[in-house]
Amino acid sequence: MHLLPHHLPWFVVGPLIGLVPVALYAIANRPLGASGAYLQAILAVRGRATEGWRAWFFIGLIIGVLGAAVLQGGPAFHLGYNFISGWLSPAAAVPILFLSGLVMGYGARWAGGCTSGHGLCGMSARASGSLVATATFFLTAIGVTLVLHLLTGGRA
Amino acid sequence: MNRVGLLFGVAFGFLIAAAGFGDADFIHRMLLLQNWYPYLVFGSAVVTAMPLLWLLQRARWVTPLGGPLKLVRASAGRRQLYGGLCFGVGWAFSCTCPVPALAMVFSGGVLGIPVVAGLFSGIMLGDRRAHTRPKANAVNAA
Repeated sequence: MHLLPHHLPWFVVGPLIGLVPVALYAIANRPLGASGAYLQAILAVRGRATEGWRAWFFIGLIIGVLGAAVLQGGPAFHLGYNFISGWLSPAAAVPILFLSGLVMGYGARWAGGCTSGHGLCGMSARASGSLVATATFFLTAIGVTLVLHLLTGGRA
Repeated sequence: MNRVGLLFGVAFGFLIAAAGFGDADFIHRMLLLQNWYPYLVFGSAVVTAMPLLWLLQRARWVTPLGGPLKLVRASAGRRQLYGGLCFGVGWAFSCTCPVPALAMVFSGGVLGIPVVAGLFSGIMLGDRRAHTRPKANAVNAA
């Protein structure tokens, strides 16, 4: 089943993504955020959620991405990182990817949000802190990627 | 509110996956500045949301579930810089972030699993830090 292309046109999906934080504010007066949803999902499992709806949001995220995967003709098992296989074995990639997730999650809590909380929602609310966070996210990620690309002779 | 949260999660997760953000190779080309599609998606999302939120704020919109609209606007500080640096490094190596990582795993991308496990661990550690240093996290954009 390939009812959904792998990448919807940007001018369709971009504005639709933009409507999500607007609608959430308009209906419930709450800021959108994914790292907060991860946190509340953990807290909910321990019976200590402070914003239980964010745990439901997390469950919704899984249903949503799974729904898209089915419409895109999946899910189908694959490693998911073609560019890494040029310079790392999958066994070596696992600890590096775990550490990347850990640093990213820790950084998201430190900064008070991630690419959705600061990048999408906070930027759209014209928050100076979200502008600083988003600019730092992008400039750091682009800089590190370009340096890594040079250091590995174009393999990463 | 739980049902609203669930519905918004479904919509947001679906759209992020429909943009193809769960494909780490695709994001890798974005960070190498070879693929401009994600920047156009992100840019058009913010360009759509910003004036609408501004209009709602100006109209003193009263939300059906949460009272008068009040936008959360974190003020700039060092924590966004330091946290942002950590996040950026992790993003560069993993080429995914919290929602796209779920899109990767649930489209069958096996190597997304250690990233999601890392995200959970890092977010728990970050939350513990926030509780031991409450002043540092007075305003949270979540």
